[in-house]
Amino acid sequence: MSISLPTYTRREMPLLGRRHRVRAIITTGLRREFKRPAVLVVIGIGVGVTIISSIVIVLFAGVFLQGQPLDLSFFFTPASNGAILFFVTLMASVVGSALIADDLQSMALTLYLSRPITEGDYLAAKAAILAPMISMIAVFPLVLTPLVAALLGSFSWTIAVEAIGLSFLIGSLFTAFYTAATLALSSLTRRKSYAAAGVFALTFGLTIPAGILAGPPFNNPAVLYASPWENYLAVARAAFGAPSAPIDWRWSLAILLVATAIAALATYLRMKFVEVVSG
Amino acid sequence: MLRRPVEGTIVLVETKNLTKVFGEVRAVDDLSVAIPEGAIGLVGPNGAGKTTFLRLLLSLLQPTAGTAKVLGRNILDGVPLRERIGYMPEHDCLIPDMTGVGLVAFMGRVSGLDADSAIGRAHDVLQFVGVEEERYRKVAEYSTGMKQKVKLAQSMVHDPQLYIFDEPTTGLDPRGRTEMLDLVRAIASSPGRNVILSSHLLPDVETICKYVVILDGGHQIAAGDLHDLLTGAADRLRIDIRGDREAFVQRLREAGLEAEAGPTGVHVGRRPGVEAEVFQAAKALGAEVRYMGREIRSLEEFFLELVARNEGKGA
Amino acid sequence: MTGVVEAAGISKWYGEVLGLNGFSASFGPGITGLVGPNGAGKSTLFKLLIGQLHSDQGTLRLLGENPWNNVPVKRRLGYCPEHNTLYGWLTGQQFVEALLRLDGMPRSRAEKAAEDALKLVGLSSAAQRPTRTYSRGMRQRAKLAQALAHRPEILILDEPLSGADPLARVQILRTISDFAKAGGHVLMSTHVLYEIERVTNNIVLINNGKAIAAGDIHSIRALIDEHPHAVRLETPQPRQLAQALARMEHIVSLEIPEEDALLVRTRKPDAFYRELPAIVADTRLEVRSLESPDDSLDAVFRYLVG
Repeated sequence: MSISLPTYTRREMPLLGRRHRVRAIITTGLRREFKRPAVLVVIGIGVGVTIISSIVIVLFAGVFLQGQPLDLSFFFTPASNGAILFFVTLMASVVGSALIADDLQSMALTLYLSRPITEGDYLAAKAAILAPMISMIAVFPLVLTPLVAALLGSFSWTIAVEAIGLSFLIGSLFTAFYTAATLALSSLTRRKSYAAAGVFALTFGLTIPAGILAGPPFNNPAVLYASPWENYLAVARAAFGAPSAPIDWRWSLAILLVATAIAALATYLRMKFVEVVSG
Repeated sequence: MLRRPVEGTIVLVETKNLTKVFGEVRAVDDLSVAIPEGAIGLVGPNGAGKTTFLRLLLSLLQPTAGTAKVLGRNILDGVPLRERIGYMPEHDCLIPDMTGVGLVAFMGRVSGLDADSAIGRAHDVLQFVGVEEERYRKVAEYSTGMKQKVKLAQSMVHDPQLYIFDEPTTGLDPRGRTEMLDLVRAIASSPGRNVILSSHLLPDVETICKYVVILDGGHQIAAGDLHDLLTGAADRLRIDIRGDREAFVQRLREAGLEAEAGPTGVHVGRRPGVEAEVFQAAKALGAEVRYMGREIRSLEEFFLELVARNEGKGA
Repeated sequence: MTGVVEAAGISKWYGEVLGLNGFSASFGPGITGLVGPNGAGKSTLFKLLIGQLHSDQGTLRLLGENPWNNVPVKRRLGYCPEHNTLYGWLTGQQFVEALLRLDGMPRSRAEKAAEDALKLVGLSSAAQRPTRTYSRGMRQRAKLAQALAHRPEILILDEPLSGADPLARVQILRTISDFAKAGGHVLMSTHVLYEIERVTNNIVLINNGKAIAAGDIHSIRALIDEHPHAVRLETPQPRQLAQALARMEHIVSLEIPEEDALLVRTRKPDAFYRELPAIVADTRLEVRSLESPDDSLDAVFRYLVG
């Protein structure tokens, strides 16, 4: 016989390491995103549109792209699909803009940082929530296209495997850039809508004017370096061996990598010094 | 004014020349303290450096100079230190679209509990703080009192050795205040568990804490066992009298006692037989004695005296 | 006798949500504390008193007049809302001055009046700083200054102490007491019951939109029959004292909780206190201290609201 009353209870189990704590933030975060209708819509339409358009290009390559040799350089075409840019931006703003801004708004950041994790752990977890969501659009369709093309017999497996590897690399580069840039914007404000607007400004505010200024009558291709999308295209052209871009792919690659690193560092410093306590 | 804890007691927090400077503000200024284990009150006016001090203890800020140890560990080892601390911030900090139990379990996992244990403990601590079936609703729908309880529960979920409570009764109504203070008291009296309670409501600190640290301008201006700090004032009796107060005081003076009327009652110098004189005087005047007791300084009186003296020195 | 505030059966509904439900009370002069749980209707009552809302039923009189849409009566009251947001870019001086100008005071007089009010609350040294740099205690005092500056007859203060540090609390309570001593009336709410007791014994207890008690705390306590009044006496001879006190017919119980103490429960505390001195003096028993653990606002609140 025994009685036991609800009272202050002691913990008996030992604490697990930091990797488990970070994983807890990631899984909880991803589960939350997959419950949000807006996220499901963006995933559905975004992945659908990019994959379908890529496969249509493969099926009707001979009709639409006359003069396009059916070698590795063919795969630049699906990688340069404008839908990727649009849906990556949409995904980054729907998911990413809230990731840190919401924690600043609710001041839950204090709760995270008073736990036994570091600022770096927190950011790594947030990046690990956003990156898979963006890669569903920036990586997955690109990798799928050569696979489908090879299965349909339009391309040899040698070319397809090489295209899959290259697609994965350049898709990851683009994902990394958008993840870092979005988190940096999200850490700067308490309002996710401001961060979302920032993501759109980053995409279209830089890409469209750069495109205009590079063309006639201005003919100033150097401004294309300002556009993340053009830099990505330059790297992709070089990777797939497509006709070369008006800008040097080496500079473009350097710009994307440095911008990603700077955004990550800025976010980290912001986390380190942000004063959440308002009173 | 620095008082060392009694020999043999275990030190909870020890700082040496701890300093934190923000721009030109020295929020914590050359602070050397040794705080014993137990229930500790941290008090001070706004800008005294309390919040900065707490954030240094949590290793959320890096000191500009000096060193500090909490539970025997250097405050620079953030992660292992925070495994042993539960923090309840003053401001809102809950994630609004999570359920109470989901949030507490999540915070348990971020502290290192495995997923199953975290849910079990989340239910245990929510039961302890008195969040019943509301625990399945979203935090956004909670009343202030319920949110405060969830904030308390999340600080308990990993069973820390040190609890840091920053103004835990903010925004609570009388019933909520009583419940919260009872919970804080229950935690403070569990063996092996320490509490640092930072509050502007000094009577609350008085009823919960055994030891108090008073900060002003980033310095410690007093610290010690609360009972020791507050007694030692003039040994007097305070009497609350209904009836002719003036005549009552007059009569006690005639009996050779030191008596004076103040805003909180009649104060009489203590000596053997003084109580009998009080009842004699009341009987003679037909007055009622509503309260009679030893006069103990309140923490507030003590605090105000100290801060005034400290300002005098600074000027 | 008419009170400063007279409420007779006032009700206010926000759709289906209860604001006040047949609230009747009469209180003032001097300081009155308004206490009750969250959602009891305190803020609704304040808004009705300052004329911001119109009651659905009943009549309300403030200083003898209906406050709804009544500008002259607004000049006679000063109000501190609960929330702590000020126009952060204004200095304390500008903030109080601007509100005085809204009152119709000419610039020259407004400047002086604002200075005086800020001095009264102890904010003179910070008067030229923007209010966004103020701590919460300073914000509370700035709000109190603007409520006082036009020399109203009644102050209506919603949680004037919340968030204030101990120094600011003392300053605010002193300002309120001085205002009342000079003949002003004050209605203030707070959740920290012992703070009300420091400035007044008069309270209005509000719950579920009704006034469930109004008047002197000790008188209200004496009316609560189901909880007999407890008095704890410290004495080296508890048994003899118990015997002596047992003669009083209103005693409910006598208990010896510790070797040197006696706990008395009585239905008639007034009679008990009246008779006690003679009994103690005549029997020559030693009584070292006397206190009533449940004669406080805290006890009244616990017994009436739960």
